Amino acid sequence: MMVRQSYTAVVERNHVWQGSFATEPYEVGWAGEAIFFVRLLEGRTELRGLPIRVQVSPDGIHWCDEGAVLTLSGAEVNFVRVSHFGNWLRLAGTWPDGAAGKVIATLALKE
Amino acid sequence: MEGLHSALLRADPRLSKFNPLSRIIFYDDFDVGLQGWSELIGNYEGTLDSMLPGYDDLRPPMLSNLSMWDTGSAGSMEGMYALKIATRPSAGALSVDTKRVTWRQRGPVRLEAYFAFKPEATEMSLSEVDVRSIGVVFDVQDEKYRYMPHLRYLNAFQGKRVAHWQFKRQRAPLMPIGSSGKTVSHFHLAPENWEDVPGGRQFLCYNEIATKHNWHYLRVDLNLSSRQITGLQCNDRVHDMAGVEPMMMPAMANLWCMLNVGFFIETDVDKRAFLYLDSVLLSGEWE
Repeated sequence: MMVRQSYTAVVERNHVWQGSFATEPYEVGWAGEAIFFVRLLEGRTELRGLPIRVQVSPDGIHWCDEGAVLTLSGAEVNFVRVSHFGNWLRLAGTWPDGAAGKVIATLALKE
Repeated sequence: MEGLHSALLRADPRLSKFNPLSRIIFYDDFDVGLQGWSELIGNYEGTLDSMLPGYDDLRPPMLSNLSMWDTGSAGSMEGMYALKIATRPSAGALSVDTKRVTWRQRGPVRLEAYFAFKPEATEMSLSEVDVRSIGVVFDVQDEKYRYMPHLRYLNAFQGKRVAHWQFKRQRAPLMPIGSSGKTVSHFHLAPENWEDVPGGRQFLCYNEIATKHNWHYLRVDLNLSSRQITGLQCNDRVHDMAGVEPMMMPAMANLWCMLNVGFFIETDVDKRAFLYLDSVLLSGEWE
């Protein structure tokens, strides 16, 4: 029996997001669905309401917004679902001065 | 029996390009998934901040169809997907992915792979010296020693072509991690103390632009009895491993029969470097 492939990639670990930031390009051409999880290790309350955008790319070099947005809720873990995304995914943000958070960002993929 | 074994391997189009020893420990063709490869991470206790800095961001593997901005998907050597190891776009950034098994008998082990490497194609220039190095690591323990045979192909350094195989036998001292007294660490992939494999200069097939990939064959032989790398072949070149030594340290408490293998890539410039593995085969010799 063949089971569905799945993979969880930790795309940021113990990394501080501030100002303009983006996760490293991740290839997802084999997958049909994805969830980005963002776990805040620091800055949970202060960052409530700030957005992080899902981005797609034709080549892993040039990027545009997919439309899905993860808005930090004040909880430790937040997520955003995305499907129909081509070969590349990343998260990107542009936060105001002084906003900073230490994160673990995880990309959970499934066929 | 040996003839039949060989004939069966030769008749299988996936395996006939390898020369495995009599037992296949694993054969990973990344067309069917990531096959148990994961990011290397350092030891920590209590907080991730306790990790040695070299280990904090060695990047997860991904399945790549080698899609290029100018020509689309190249696919892998056989099939569509390869395992891809990518660095961050920062000179000296290193990424390492690993697979962890154990050994059954102290004898010969052979690691084979088909690989390609390139810088990210962000410039319309040859970029042939943008990737600093690619390499293979083992991390092994028996009843006396933990030892780490490491080999790398130093493609370029600070913008100059080097094209030389190197090994590493000098290691940094073990550092305590946390406060329990149970955890230690040293960064075995530090850029210092690599030594040339004698006669180990070799030119590979970079090709003529950054979006063309040629697959190369790699074979590394390790003898678990002598704790030595006994063979290195890349394409047409078989290198002499006389004098090539691993990093050695006393056996540790929780690593008995460990046999870890890993691949890495390092960038020489502020541009991502990518190592692609079409397939990896680890084989051994035992009764």
